[in-house]
Amino acid sequence: MTTTDIRIQPRRRGDKRPSWDEEPSFLGKFVKAAFLVCYAAAIVLPIWAVVATSFASEEALSRAGGNLLLIPTDVSLKAYEEIFSGGALTESLLLTMGLTLGGTAISMVITIGAAYGLSRPGTLLHRPLLMLVLFTFLFAPGLYPSFLVVQSLGLFNSYWSLILPMAMNAFNLIVLRSFFMNSVPGELLDAAKMDGAGEFRTLFKIVLPMSKAILAVIALFYAVMYWNIYFQAVLYIPSQDVQPIQVVLQRMLMSTQGLPGAASQAAQYQSTAAAPTAALKMAVVVCTIIPIVIMYPFIQKHFTKAVITGAIKG
Amino acid sequence: MAALQTSVPGAAQAPTERPRVKRKRTVGQRFRHDWPLLLLTLPAMAQLAIFFYWPSAWNVIAFMDYSPHRPFWENPIVGFAWFGRLFSDPYFLPALGNTLKFALAQLAFVFPLSIVLALVMHSVVSTKIRSLFQSVVYLPYFFSWVLVVTVFVQMLGSDGLVSNLLLQSGGDRLTFMTDGDSFVFLAWMQWAWKDAGWGMIIFLAALASINPSLYEAAAVDGAGRWKRMWHITLPGIRPVIVLLLILQLGGILTVGFEQYQLQRDSVGFGATEVLDTFVYYRSIIGPQSESFGTAAGLFKGVIGLILILIANNVAHRLGEQGIYQKS
Repeated sequence: MTTTDIRIQPRRRGDKRPSWDEEPSFLGKFVKAAFLVCYAAAIVLPIWAVVATSFASEEALSRAGGNLLLIPTDVSLKAYEEIFSGGALTESLLLTMGLTLGGTAISMVITIGAAYGLSRPGTLLHRPLLMLVLFTFLFAPGLYPSFLVVQSLGLFNSYWSLILPMAMNAFNLIVLRSFFMNSVPGELLDAAKMDGAGEFRTLFKIVLPMSKAILAVIALFYAVMYWNIYFQAVLYIPSQDVQPIQVVLQRMLMSTQGLPGAASQAAQYQSTAAAPTAALKMAVVVCTIIPIVIMYPFIQKHFTKAVITGAIKG
Repeated sequence: MAALQTSVPGAAQAPTERPRVKRKRTVGQRFRHDWPLLLLTLPAMAQLAIFFYWPSAWNVIAFMDYSPHRPFWENPIVGFAWFGRLFSDPYFLPALGNTLKFALAQLAFVFPLSIVLALVMHSVVSTKIRSLFQSVVYLPYFFSWVLVVTVFVQMLGSDGLVSNLLLQSGGDRLTFMTDGDSFVFLAWMQWAWKDAGWGMIIFLAALASINPSLYEAAAVDGAGRWKRMWHITLPGIRPVIVLLLILQLGGILTVGFEQYQLQRDSVGFGATEVLDTFVYYRSIIGPQSESFGTAAGLFKGVIGLILILIANNVAHRLGEQGIYQKS
C-alpha cells in the first residue's frame, strides 16, 4: 500500500486564463458551453419537474394531462399533508430515518475500529486480518448463501437484517485506514505514546479529531446506502408492515403503471387509497431526495480525496 | 583538511553501529502490547466472519441436492451436476450474454463520457462554474435506483412528460421504456444520468495532477490547444484510464442488480436478465431450487474472482498498482 501517483497540484491559474493559453474561438466556447448546459439541464430539469409536480393540485395536473409539470400554476401542499399525516408514509419515513441513523452509527463504530486497528503494520496478526478484509474485494458469497445465514440467525423479517449484513464496507474501511496511515503524522502518535496515552486515548483525542473530513464523507456514504435500501428489504423483510421508503415508492410507482404484477403489488400497498396521485408520488420522491441534498454540500469538497484513495490504493 | 582526512578512515574503521538484531518478542508479549488494536478490529472481523465467510462456506450446497427442509447432513452430494445443468438451462447463457453486453456497453459508452466530461470541465477557467457544475453532476450518484427509474418513467415513459409534449404537438407517445429491444439504450441513459458525472471525479483528479508547466512549455513551443491535449493531457491521464479499464474488465460479471430487477416487469425479463437477477429468481423466487441458484451464484463468484486476479496481474505488469499489492 504505497502512495498513489496522483498528487493533486494546487491549481495555479485560479480564475484567470494563463498568459500562454490562447483565447478559444467563439465556436469552441459555444460548443463547450452548450454541452455543459445541456448536461446540467438533463439532470436538473427532471428534478425540477418532480419538485414542481409535488406541489401541484390535481386540477392543475389534469389540465396538463400528464404525470409531470414543468411550470406549476398553483401551489398545493396536499401531497405533503398526506405524507406527514401520520399514516403509512410517515411511518415509513421514520423507519428509514431510524435505519439510516442507527445503521450509520453502527457502521462507523465498526469501520473506525478496524481502520485504526489495522493501521499499524507489524502488529500481531496484522497481515492475516488485512487479507481477510481485502479478500472481500475479490469474491462475493452469493445471494442464496447470504439469505440462508440471515435466516438461520433468526434475522428474517427483522429490521436488523437491513443493518448487520452490510454494516461494514471494506472499501470504506480501506479508505479510512489509508488516511490514518498516511495523513496522521506518526510523530504525533509517538508523542502521545511518550505521554502515556493508550491506544483508545490516542484514537479519540488525536486521530479522530484530525480525520473529521474523511469521517464525514464515509458517514455520508454509509448514510446514503442505508437511506437507499431497497432490495435488502424486498429480500429480508417481506412480511413487515412498515417498509423502507424506497420500497414504498416502488410500490406506488408499480400501482399506477398498469403492468402485469402491478395488481398484487398494489394490493400489498394498502395504506393509501387505490391510486396515489402523481403529486403524492412526486412528493415522496422529493422526501427521498431532500436528506441527500441537505447533507451533501457540506461534504462535497472532500469527495475527491476519498474516491482517489479508494480507487487507486487499497 | 587534516581533521577531515583523519576522520574519514576513522569512520570507515569503526563499525560501531552494531547491525540491530530485532529481538523477537513472543506472541504473548506482542499480544500484551497490541491487544487494544486487536480489540478494535474485533467487531469488523466478527461482521466479516458472520456475513461474508460463513455464507461463503454455505456455497457447498452448490455441490449437494440441498433442501432446507431436511437436516444438513442428509442432503445427498451430487458433485458438479448443478454446474452441468447451468449450461443446459435455456435461460442461463442468455443471462450471461446480457451481463457481458451491459458490462461492455458501460465500458464503451459511459466510461468515455466520464472522460469527455472531465476534459471539458478541466478546460473551464472559472472556478465558480466548475464547482457549480460538479455539485450538479455528482448529485444523481446518490439517488437510489428506485428513484432513478421513477424519474425516468415520469419523464420518458409512455405517460410521461416528454410523451405528453409530443402528443400535444401531434406526435406519438414514447414507448422505448417498455421495449426490450432498446433496453440497452435505456440502461445507457440511466447510467449516464446517474453515474457518469461521478465517474468524472477520478479523471478530474488525474488531470489536476498534470504539471501545468508542461502546458506552458508546449504553448511556448507553439503547440496549439489540440496538440497540447493530444501530447500532454491524454498521456497524462493514460495510466488512470488504463488502470480503471482493467479493473472494470475484472468486474465485468457484476453490472448491478436493482436497475434490472426494477425494470423487469415493464421491459420483459428476456432483455433484463443478468447473472445476478438469474440467481435471485432461481434460488429465492420460484421455480425454486436452492442448490441450482447457489451453483449459478458460485459460478459467477469464481469466474469473477479469476477475472479480477487476471486484471490485477495485467495491471501489475503494466506497472500499475491494481486493487491489491503483490508484496
